[in-house]
Amino acid sequence: MPTQIVLNHSGDTRHEFDAADLEALAEAEQRFKKLTGKGFTAATRTRPGEVAVVRAFDPTAQETLFYPRLVGS
Amino acid sequence: MLLFGAQRRAGSRLQTLRELYASFIGENSPEARGRHLLREWLSPVQLAQFDEHRYFDVVGCDTAKRYHINYGTAANIHELDGAGTPRVGWCFAPSARLVPGDVMLAQKIALETNENAALSVANEFPPRMAFNR
Repeated sequence: MPTQIVLNHSGDTRHEFDAADLEALAEAEQRFKKLTGKGFTAATRTRPGEVAVVRAFDPTAQETLFYPRLVGS
Repeated sequence: MLLFGAQRRAGSRLQTLRELYASFIGENSPEARGRHLLREWLSPVQLAQFDEHRYFDVVGCDTAKRYHINYGTAANIHELDGAGTPRVGWCFAPSARLVPGDVMLAQKIALETNENAALSVANEFPPRMAFNR
């Protein structure tokens, strides 16, 4: 089942959704837009160990990872 | 005598339960979850490095430079020269407070997909003299 993984202080929060369920799909897309709008980067795994940044919601992605904006530390 | 034996068995069971609980808490702690997620997203080579040394190397997508990401949340990235010696340290991380595995995963993704942008926000620091390879 497709999963959106949001990194946070607890490790991560996972949101699974059924891509065949239009309501769940819309909710996942909203979450994608909300997070990326707040500066989160969204990334998916293309092959084991290979990653790609995604700019638009992809309902076929099995896992989408979100991490907060990067800053110098 | 029988009572003493029963007490000892109960104590042993309690100790086992305590160990199981500690193990469960340890494996479900935010830090352990971060490590687990990181391991899932590493390449086989990076995973082997991480399991053995608690660091892994990535190649920057823009310059093809090699970076060494050490276990930690700050001042944990070294840019390596052609001989594998740290040339300069880079410090950047997600703006929220995250556990080390999550920070390292974000750093890997940033360097492998958007190296120049990541370094544009990073702070430089001199590489540590005692660098453990």
